[in-house]
Amino acid sequence: MSRSTLTRMRGVPRALTLTVVAGALLAVLPWLLSDFMLSLALSCLMFAALAVSWSMFCGPTHYLSLATSAFFGLGAYVTAWGLESMPYGLTVLAGGLVGAAFAALIGVAVLHLRGAYFAVITFGLTELVLHSITYVEKTMFETAGRIISDAPENAVIYWTVLGITVLAVATAILVRASRLGFALAGIGGDEERAQTLGVNARRAKVLAFSLSAFFPGALGAAMAVRWTYIEPMSVFNPFIGFQTVLIAMVGGAQTLLGPIVSSVFFSLLTEFLRLRFPYAFLLVLGILLVVLVLYLPGGLASLFVRRARPHA
Amino acid sequence: MPEALLSARGVSVRFGGLTAVNGVNLDVHTGELVGIIGPNGAGKTTFFHTLSGVLRPTEGRLIVAGDDLTGRAPHVYAAHGVARTFQTPRVFRDMTAADNVRFALEFAGRLRKHGHDAFDDVATILGFLGLAEVAMLPAGALTPARQRLLEIGVALGARPRVLLLDEVAAGLTHTEIDATAQLIRRVRDELGVAVIWIEHAVRVLMNTVERVAVLHQGAKIADGDPRAVAKEAAVIEAYLGEEGDSARVAA
Amino acid sequence: MGFWLELAASGLITGGIYAVVAIGLNLQYGLMRIMNISHGEFLMLGAYLTWLAHTTLKINPIVLLPGVAVTLFLVGMVVYRLCFRRISRSAPTVEVIEARSLLVGFGLMFFVQNAVYLAWGADLRGYSFMAEPVDIAGARFMANRLLVFGVAVAASLGLLAVLRWTMIGKAVRAMMQSPTGAQLVGIDTSTLHPVVFGAGLALAGVAGGLLSMVYEISPSMGEPYTVTALIVITLGGLGSAIGSLLGGFLLGLVEAFGMHFTNPSLKMVLSYGVLVAVLIARPKGLFAR
Repeated sequence: MSRSTLTRMRGVPRALTLTVVAGALLAVLPWLLSDFMLSLALSCLMFAALAVSWSMFCGPTHYLSLATSAFFGLGAYVTAWGLESMPYGLTVLAGGLVGAAFAALIGVAVLHLRGAYFAVITFGLTELVLHSITYVEKTMFETAGRIISDAPENAVIYWTVLGITVLAVATAILVRASRLGFALAGIGGDEERAQTLGVNARRAKVLAFSLSAFFPGALGAAMAVRWTYIEPMSVFNPFIGFQTVLIAMVGGAQTLLGPIVSSVFFSLLTEFLRLRFPYAFLLVLGILLVVLVLYLPGGLASLFVRRARPHA
Repeated sequence: MPEALLSARGVSVRFGGLTAVNGVNLDVHTGELVGIIGPNGAGKTTFFHTLSGVLRPTEGRLIVAGDDLTGRAPHVYAAHGVARTFQTPRVFRDMTAADNVRFALEFAGRLRKHGHDAFDDVATILGFLGLAEVAMLPAGALTPARQRLLEIGVALGARPRVLLLDEVAAGLTHTEIDATAQLIRRVRDELGVAVIWIEHAVRVLMNTVERVAVLHQGAKIADGDPRAVAKEAAVIEAYLGEEGDSARVAA
Repeated sequence: MGFWLELAASGLITGGIYAVVAIGLNLQYGLMRIMNISHGEFLMLGAYLTWLAHTTLKINPIVLLPGVAVTLFLVGMVVYRLCFRRISRSAPTVEVIEARSLLVGFGLMFFVQNAVYLAWGADLRGYSFMAEPVDIAGARFMANRLLVFGVAVAASLGLLAVLRWTMIGKAVRAMMQSPTGAQLVGIDTSTLHPVVFGAGLALAGVAGGLLSMVYEISPSMGEPYTVTALIVITLGGLGSAIGSLLGGFLLGLVEAFGMHFTNPSLKMVLSYGVLVAVLIARPKGLFAR
């Protein structure tokens, strides 16, 4: 899985160049596509960024975080609360920072839990934030939701989300090649062993978890303006977190390309099924998911990547 | 005598009502090769866990290179130059053998230089252990014996000042055990590190080390020259309690 | 006095249902490391079965419960065979089993929920059953709720008794403590796993049947119970059946009293607050030693 640092570093400039070129090519889409197709592209990009940033931490460490919705929702609320006093770009940055700060906070408290415990607590924390914000909005502001006025144009939103996605992929590439990435791989393999070899596991995990939460936070802030009306139930929707996990794991969270391919695959598939079978599409999606996990457990990436393994 | 490199002072570990380690004192100096023996369940491995920070002692203090590290996380011990192996090799199975050693060099090993070129990079460490040809294989695919060697290689990659070896010879053939013993001596001789070695195969250990400590029911009952220790009444008593082991001491 | 009794009783009644739902899920997790996120969907299925049989065949819903349990048990065996057996056998580590079973659970959730939705629509369904008040010790209860409570407690205790005193129960407990050890003494996982999975779904189905006697039902009714079950399991400790029973009652009481003393809109904040606090302070559950 992990190659030597040298060989890993060797691929980095090429991968970064590719990412930037792909980003530049995708930047022209607003002039080419219809509104419908553009919104489809937007959803592909959003899930690609979510899945890539999720895999950044959860891939190598094998943690199962369901907190993506919490970061996303907090970001969205930064926009809802701040858009009147800040420019859009700044709310996106602030959303990312709030996501990262929240992740650092909960990371310190709960990253010692593993497996199903961690999944359950991140889910619980998301719900706790959701209901706390609902309560605050109701009692202090006497409102159930907020109306977003002067939203930027669709193209601006698209470029912003594209920018976040490119940044997320670039960060993922750099993390994989860095000491932090190496430490994460060790932690995923055997945390205690990694510690006895000098890794400050707690610091590495909190750092990476926090870094990976910047992107959902920023995405939440960027996407919030797509809804004209924002309420906790819609932006903290646990489904966003579930779908992210699903896309990342079906794509192969250990890989970089897997989650990207899988997010495009899933966004298009969902859209296709929704149009083709308006009533039964979730049912079909359910069956597909079960079949995929059972018969393609290595993720979609395993279809493309052939594992080079010298004979023993 | 100069200050000890690693010093355990009155270390006890209790799990509920069970006392696994009972007030053990042990000072180890640079360049020493110390063996720890004792019947099954004597608390040897538990004691190692406290020496490497994996387990916090219920009582007592641990001082490494003059710093009190009691209660600190394992990576702090590693930073102070304590490196260990585990009884069941705990290599990173998905990483290549080379990356396993590189991992140690990159983290714990980054803080020190051996001052001995032979152990300063992945290739020479693997070469020294005879693992050069499997360097690019995933560690999980190696044979158990090779995983044991790699486990030592990983500990060497940490560029230790104190090397803790926990039953590195278990499950090996007689020839392999002798080879491992030689290897351990070479590591100590060439690097000048302190080595503490736990082993069940008492005979080879007694012939290799210059000093041996005996644990029995969690307490240290003897500590000194191997030949002198073997004659001590308390040691014989402890081993006679377990027939299988008494035979091995005699042998 | 009567008021507090009613408050406590309402907490315990909800708690009883929580316990039944949670025990099944907890056994599945403790034994097989299957985190079946679609557990609530099978509760919903049990509710629909009871409703359907009662409204079309006019059979007393209590009489229907054993039938619902058996049906869901069989459904569980089939689901295990089709979905989870392969995961248990092919996954290299426990973590992988947990992750994959979670994904399959999502798939099942989509599937079952939407299948029921396609068949009967999203409307609330219901029927009236034993909806008359009963007075006990100065407090007033609805008869159907008392019944629900009684059956829920009986089912939970029955299961605990099975775990404690029968061969299969002992085998299950042995497996949870030491999977390899249990296999060495000849316990066969290939029959034990599907049976326990089926038993978990049977309990969920019974809980659903009970709920249909009290509340209106809909295809999305199951999800919140999955979440609640997760909370209860965490409170009581993963793998501990008795912990789930106590945890269920505890959560029911916390909700009832918490809402009374604070604010009904804080109910969810309370439940999740309890969950988060317990997980941080006592990750092995409240009753772990």
